[in-house]
Amino acid sequence: MRNRNATAYRFLAPYLLIFSVFWVWPIISSFMISFQATRTVPWRFAPGFNWGRLIGDPAFFNALKNTLLILVIQVPVMIALAMVMAVLLNSPLLKARGLYRFAFFAPVVVGEVAYSAVFRLMFSLDFGIVNKLLNSIGLPKIDWFSNVTPAMALIMIAVTWRWAGYNAIILLAGMQSIPEDVYEAATLDRVSKLKQFFYITVPLLKPVIVFCTVLSIIGTMQLFTEPFLITERGGPGGGTETLGLLLYRQGFRSLNFGYASAVAYTMAALAIAITLVQLWLTREKQ
Amino acid sequence: MAPVTLNNVAKRFGAFEVVHGANIDIKDGEFVVFVGPSGCGKSTLLRMIAGLEDISGGEIAIGGKVVNDVEPADRGIAMVFQSYALYPHMSVEQNLSFGLRMTGNPKADTDRRVKRAAEILRISELMDRRPKKLSGGQRQRVAIGRAIVREPQVFLFDEPLSNLDAELRVQMRVEISRLHKELGTTMVYVTHDQTEAMTLADRIVVLRAGHIEQIGPPLELYENPDNLFVAGFVGSPKMNFIKGRIVGRDARGVLVELAGQEKTRITQPLTGTAPEVGSKVIVGVRPEHFGDAGEGDADLVVGIDVIEHLGGTSFLYARTVHGEDVVIQRDAAKVPETPEITASIRKSYLFDDKGLRLR
Amino acid sequence: MSSLSSARLRRSIALHLFLTPLALIWLFPLWMMVVFSTMPDNGIFSPGIELLPHGNFLDNFHNLQRDTDFVGAILISVSVAVTYTVLSVLLTSMAGWALARYKFFGKGVVVAIILGTITLPYAVVLIPQFIMVARDFQLANTWVALIVPPLFNSLGVLFMRQSFSMMPDDLFDAARVEGVKEWRIFLFVALPLARPMLAALAIILFLASWNNYLWPLLINSQPGSMTAPVALGTLIGLTKVSWGGIMAGAVMLTVPMLIVFVLLQRHFIAGIAAGAVK
Repeated sequence: MRNRNATAYRFLAPYLLIFSVFWVWPIISSFMISFQATRTVPWRFAPGFNWGRLIGDPAFFNALKNTLLILVIQVPVMIALAMVMAVLLNSPLLKARGLYRFAFFAPVVVGEVAYSAVFRLMFSLDFGIVNKLLNSIGLPKIDWFSNVTPAMALIMIAVTWRWAGYNAIILLAGMQSIPEDVYEAATLDRVSKLKQFFYITVPLLKPVIVFCTVLSIIGTMQLFTEPFLITERGGPGGGTETLGLLLYRQGFRSLNFGYASAVAYTMAALAIAITLVQLWLTREKQ
Repeated sequence: MAPVTLNNVAKRFGAFEVVHGANIDIKDGEFVVFVGPSGCGKSTLLRMIAGLEDISGGEIAIGGKVVNDVEPADRGIAMVFQSYALYPHMSVEQNLSFGLRMTGNPKADTDRRVKRAAEILRISELMDRRPKKLSGGQRQRVAIGRAIVREPQVFLFDEPLSNLDAELRVQMRVEISRLHKELGTTMVYVTHDQTEAMTLADRIVVLRAGHIEQIGPPLELYENPDNLFVAGFVGSPKMNFIKGRIVGRDARGVLVELAGQEKTRITQPLTGTAPEVGSKVIVGVRPEHFGDAGEGDADLVVGIDVIEHLGGTSFLYARTVHGEDVVIQRDAAKVPETPEITASIRKSYLFDDKGLRLR
Repeated sequence: MSSLSSARLRRSIALHLFLTPLALIWLFPLWMMVVFSTMPDNGIFSPGIELLPHGNFLDNFHNLQRDTDFVGAILISVSVAVTYTVLSVLLTSMAGWALARYKFFGKGVVVAIILGTITLPYAVVLIPQFIMVARDFQLANTWVALIVPPLFNSLGVLFMRQSFSMMPDDLFDAARVEGVKEWRIFLFVALPLARPMLAALAIILFLASWNNYLWPLLINSQPGSMTAPVALGTLIGLTKVSWGGIMAGAVMLTVPMLIVFVLLQRHFIAGIAAGAVK
């Protein structure tokens, strides 16, 4: 290839401009804002102001605790479920594959607002179809919105419903890129299907599984719309408040940009840590 | 039509030098083939002539004009690529005319050129097809047609036949030869296949690891190789190399003893300085230069492993008593039935221990 | 042979027995969305179990339109999503082309910054973006605010870079030797060849813009400038609001996308799966 600086930058410039203004600069800017007291005019540099408050803020720790709790339970369950979906959708024994694919993949196109609304109705105390169905098989109604544990469960159910198929698509694509003859060789060696799954599929798919997990963790970490709309601004009483919601309230309800930036950078730090773990997990073995 | 001159042309990728100061003079209308094993720098050299690679050192001139900083399109060249590089989303006609259309050539002239190229290559009936619907040979013709349309001063071919099967390759080889006669344009052709080089070229440039090993007409390379590499590369099956030692010398030449065979001694006339007695040398013998016992200068006893019958001739894959592999060409009628034979050496080449020809 | 096939049959039955209920559960919320959208409000809030659609969709839609200008919001959403998709496909494929096909000064740095920051949460840039657009540029409640900032998304750049770099070099060199200008090579050779990838990318970008909630919620909160999801979101949690209407809105947001999904499933899946194969 010949060096073509001018040509290359002519193609690159429009995107690079937007990318710098609306991504690179805000990343830097956000970091700086987190060290400023922003409720005075003009803003002044006060390194301990937001971060100091953060360390002692029960609301922050509540949000952090809730976010991590959702992460720890919801992500593994969803990835496992996505894996099951992918394996079964990939089975040559499956008939009407298109219908099943539609069922699991359809939530991928559903917007957060639309499905939050549906879940709110489906899980409402007296008139929700879920409680009605529970009742009809003799189980007691559950008050999904007034108690913390069911409310958290509801958030996790909703997120899992929305994103499991998405992960299944990625895992399925990964599985289909494993050459068929590897399995044929294993079958000839009388390796059972179950063992083939654990000793061939899982190891070969590891980078994809790790990728899905990281993607899901970073996605769930920013969870906002579901607790905002389904459990009514993180209710009951902050029981489903997440970091995303805290950032929204601090930044855009109280207009406390400095503190919200500190919350944002806490999320960034978590994301960086998780990405490093991913790199370590999928590093090339010598 | 134009001559192409390479003056001390070098190519470096960082600290890694892939072409070391190449000097080549290609005459107007000449067909020159760059040949060598993969990684020898032949394609890089061609792409530098085309302007697709920067030139790290030296000068390239086309038609007497230095083109180092000239865009590919303005060098008066056209190139045929190994992968044909046909645009899959365009018909044959669109493929042929694309470059001219995109550079604002008058439509009437474009049509004329496309029509002429199609006639030369006999692809007029294929004009509306997409490349996917063409056979390998047809694609190759379209790729060449796209070059012809440009009416270049120099044609550049980058391994154009290596994606074809054996039969088609021979056919297209003849076709390209015919084209050269018909157009009379300078052609530079890159290949790793010595047969292609031998059959097509006016002159061959043999390259190895970025160095030019020898430049010359095909038969001269065959009959008078400068070194071990050229001797081994040109000719098929390749020349046999047998280790030897100088055991005597006089004004006219040297006496060479083959390793492990004290009785086999070859007298080799030399005009240059002869190496000292005792120095190690390599004796090269082409398979076709073996004769029946007693026919030549020296006799060699070999054990036969395998015999390949090709019809008129046969090849004996054999081994000397010292364990060196040799291939011997024989008339089919004269294939021996004994597992061991004595073959005479009718003609041989001598190389010193650095691989340089001793003459 | 017969024992083998009967074992296969048993396995096949077990597979379907497991997967069918799971699929039905997964379809249930979507089904209920449609059912709710066709029920009058007093039907939604009644003790009986209703699992089949009624005929009240139009009434619900009228109620929705009374609560908020949903038609106007849909028009904004469509225009924004279309403009965003076209611009983003163009910008990211140009950038991807440059990164895949040219050697140039600073290339390594650009790639490193894109790859190094891609996993950072969007939340990090939310506040500076908001301050910039709303305060510095005074662009809150405009279309520009909805369309331009989200163009930073670099997934398209990586996807197109990957797509272009898998194309054979010779194709572009052939055009270069013929004197075709670089932007024409991009336009008339590279882009037509990348059509399936462009389709996949366009679908994913359109969907992202169509469903985008947080940024439009923050930046375009004035009635008359809201996108459809934001307009619908404002109703959720209000008392005295028609839930049948909200569901009608949800259906209008969702069903077109479901149809696109069914029609263009291959491109859709390619677009989503591409993220993993970089």
